[in-house]
Amino acid sequence: MTDVDPVDDDVDANTKPAANATEVLEYLVRNVVDEPDGVEVHVDDQRASRVQLNVHVAPGDMGRVIGRRGRVANAIRTVVRAAAVRDGVDVDVEFVD
Amino acid sequence: MEWVETTAKTVEEAKDLALDRLGVDEQDAEFEVLEVPRPGLFGRTRGEGRVRARVRPVQPRPKAERREKRRPPRGAGSRPAKGSRPDEPAGEVPQTEPEEIADDETIVGPAPRPSGRGGRGRNAASSGADAPVRGRARKVATPAEPASSEEPTMNEDVTVEEQGEMIQEFLEGLVDAFGFEAEVGTTRVDDETVEVHVEGSDLGLLVGPKGATLQAIHDLSRTVVQRRASGHHEGRVRIDVAGYREKRREALERFTQKVAAEVVAAGVAKVLEPMAPADRKVVHDTANSIDGVHTSSEGDEPRRRVVILPD
Repeated sequence: MTDVDPVDDDVDANTKPAANATEVLEYLVRNVVDEPDGVEVHVDDQRASRVQLNVHVAPGDMGRVIGRRGRVANAIRTVVRAAAVRDGVDVDVEFVD
Repeated sequence: MEWVETTAKTVEEAKDLALDRLGVDEQDAEFEVLEVPRPGLFGRTRGEGRVRARVRPVQPRPKAERREKRRPPRGAGSRPAKGSRPDEPAGEVPQTEPEEIADDETIVGPAPRPSGRGGRGRNAASSGADAPVRGRARKVATPAEPASSEEPTMNEDVTVEEQGEMIQEFLEGLVDAFGFEAEVGTTRVDDETVEVHVEGSDLGLLVGPKGATLQAIHDLSRTVVQRRASGHHEGRVRIDVAGYREKRREALERFTQKVAAEVVAAGVAKVLEPMAPADRKVVHDTANSIDGVHTSSEGDEPRRRVVILPD
């Protein structure tokens, strides 16, 4: 695991905005849900300074990503924001139905 | 295991106090309600809530039995179980981490996976679990406890080693996703505690301001373990990044000593900023070892804070 090899098929580390944050976000959400295949992250970078990452999960997994009193969601946000520092952007993570 | 006894206006508050004292989350503790406030005249209550609590001991199980689950070759760097911290009383350091999080997800423990989904199932499970105490504490009508039916449904124990393995794996993936070059290892701390540590340079992002990111990673690790293995989770796994914990503890001790000195000098209590349970425990422990001050806590998670008061 010492190889720096952020491979995750669908994220191109160099071209997309918030690529690092997106990858971390997908990784985290996939690890928390029951259906990793149902996870999709859409990057919305319409606005200049912030990138919004919209997370979609399988219908039954919403509760999991949110967690009791939103704690899982908040933990995910915290970690993803840290990852975004490497992208040089601010990100908002939204979990959408 | 050492018991702590706390008293407050309500049993709930006494429990909160006790948890602070122990530095663990509710589901890692065991309670005995010693006294329940009684309704008095004019809606007032008489008496106090008094509870006894301790860190829930890991049930001793035959070693052989737990060993046969997949055995990692890791833990090479393990320190001897005991003796490494001979001076620590039972409820000490090792337990300080898992709380917070725990509160969230670990509660799913007793419930079978499929129904454990979503907030509702979880909450139901949790209130069921501590209903016995709570029911008595307040006059909440507690219908036949679902707790009993919940307990036996989940039988698979998940050893602390297995949890450590899952978390190590999870962290390896996370470090990769971050694009960091770091080494993730697992160390046995004592009988019931395993530490998964991430070592490397420039890992500050994984720690974050006041360890907030580390705490979040810890929360998520618990969630991941919960998803991958339901059942009773033995022991505790804590996570460290680049030696942060120790540094944080030392800094907190120094800080507490400084504030305690001010409190003694001025004779006025000081309220500290909100802290995670693990941090509060360090503050409580440090302050209570100093003559002339004692501590209490106020506020609700996650904004609970320690107050240092003059004696």
